[in-house]
Amino acid sequence: MHCGRRSIGQARRLDARRETIVRVSERARLSLELPVAPGAVRRRWMPLLAAGLSIGEYARSLVRRLAFLSALLLAAIWALDGQGYFWPAWAWLGLGVLVLIDLGAAWAWRHPPGAVRRVACVWTVVGVAAVILVCTWLLTWLLAGARSFWPTWALLGLATAGSSYSLIALHDRVLVAHGKRALRARIDMLTHTRRQAVDAQAAELRRIERDLHDGAQARLVALTLQLGRAELRCNDQPEVRGLILDAQREAHHAIAELRDLARGIVPPLLADRGLEAAVQSLAARYGLGTSIEAQSRRELVPAVERAAYFVIAEALTNTAKHACAEHSWVQLKDEHHVLAVVVGDDGCGGADPQGSGLAGLRARVEALDGSLRVHSAAGAGTVLEARLPCA
Amino acid sequence: MRVVIAEDLALLRAGLVALLRENQIEVVAQVEDGPALLRAIAGHKPDLAIVDVRLPPTYSDEGLLAAIEARRRQPELGVLVLSQYVETAYASELIGGDTAGIGYLLKERVGDVRAFLDALHSVAAGGTVLDRQVVSELLAPRGGKREALSGLTARERDVLALMAEGRSNTAIAENLTVTPGAVEKHITNIFAKLDLPACDDDHRRVLAVLAYLRVAH
Repeated sequence: MHCGRRSIGQARRLDARRETIVRVSERARLSLELPVAPGAVRRRWMPLLAAGLSIGEYARSLVRRLAFLSALLLAAIWALDGQGYFWPAWAWLGLGVLVLIDLGAAWAWRHPPGAVRRVACVWTVVGVAAVILVCTWLLTWLLAGARSFWPTWALLGLATAGSSYSLIALHDRVLVAHGKRALRARIDMLTHTRRQAVDAQAAELRRIERDLHDGAQARLVALTLQLGRAELRCNDQPEVRGLILDAQREAHHAIAELRDLARGIVPPLLADRGLEAAVQSLAARYGLGTSIEAQSRRELVPAVERAAYFVIAEALTNTAKHACAEHSWVQLKDEHHVLAVVVGDDGCGGADPQGSGLAGLRARVEALDGSLRVHSAAGAGTVLEARLPCA
Repeated sequence: MRVVIAEDLALLRAGLVALLRENQIEVVAQVEDGPALLRAIAGHKPDLAIVDVRLPPTYSDEGLLAAIEARRRQPELGVLVLSQYVETAYASELIGGDTAGIGYLLKERVGDVRAFLDALHSVAAGGTVLDRQVVSELLAPRGGKREALSGLTARERDVLALMAEGRSNTAIAENLTVTPGAVEKHITNIFAKLDLPACDDDHRRVLAVLAYLRVAH
């Protein structure tokens, strides 16, 4: 408490001093009295500097005030001196240039050190010189009548010099920035075309699956039907009947193989009923007592849906084959522009993340700009997490 | 028996029609899509509809949805759904609350002509026929909450699977090369183990099939 009171007291004293200073400087400005002795200034202003004002800032404000006061003073002298030719305009130009240099230097110093700050300094100089030229022309024109605009060439020269210097000094940076822009554009284009390729591939696979279904599979089914009808008619010819039954068995194998192929391309339930229904069917097929938590209500593009499905299918297959798990779970979550797919079990863990199954899944997920993580410490179950962007 | 066929592939449709006509089954209408199926059923009042799951225009599950709708409008209609794939999810959707007069078979089962015709008659008579692939998926040994079927022996599971396919006791006996008496003994054991109420045999068969689907979903 004591300490706090003391600091409050100190702050009050500091405020009081600052008010005094402001009052003093105000009075100085009004009475056109200027603080003169440097030693005195230093002594009087030190407390204020301690409160946060730097010497540079104080000096700059002093320069501005001096300039303002001098301008007024010169105008007053001109008025008292019987007027005539308005010579204080030249003094005003000089004082204005002083202030301009101050402002320009402060602006230039705001840039990071190095080439950029040097270029800013050069442009400050060019700017000040241009202002001097233009104002000089303006004053001679106003005070002594119209002339041609003679500073044209000088201004052009200044601009050329400034630009050349900037170009040389910032040459590398311009190149780097240009390179970065080109690189970004290329990444954008590659991302876009890769997405297109993946989508086109998904559409093509769907078409192949349909063709298999409506073409080869249907013809084989019709074939088995015809063979069945033929078989009915040769009950009395066991040899022929045997041949027909063999042919029918082959046709059945072909149909089964085609079905497995088509199911591997686009699982029918996924195409018809969406991800959640397909995952439920998978879980039922493996009979792992899998709990499914689907928080995602997002419309998924076919490629993302397929990737999510195959991640879950592979994970559940591994769980059923290797994990000796009692429980497993599947979560589908929306996270901004990402579909998070988490599949876990409480089995024996120790899955090899570099194994061929998981490597294949990783490739599938990464083709969609996604990521796949596997946590499978021995004895601690396995959790597989895929994150699939769906922007 | 009067039958409506909904199948978009002409080759298969023609084969089916020829097969049914050869076996004294009357085909009253052949259609290619779901709405036409519903119109045909309303117009002809058939005993049975044979429906392909994938029909135009979407080629996804329009046939299945049309079959469910047809059953809703006409509950006594037998429906045999044919599909290139069998999914237990589709089977339970199709059956809903009532197993009577429902069949769900892989398309290629039409090649086994005798069993296919048996299945048609069974479904038209109010029986239940599930594809053996659905049945084996439902009966596969699993972990989790499948205790209801875990008390069955391997042979009892075989018998139950064949029952679910709509086979008669004699057909089951032939298939497993045992005597019909042995089959009956197995069936009695299955009913006892699944704790099914005592009533007529056909109804208990249906209940046994329902027991599959209950443990599956």
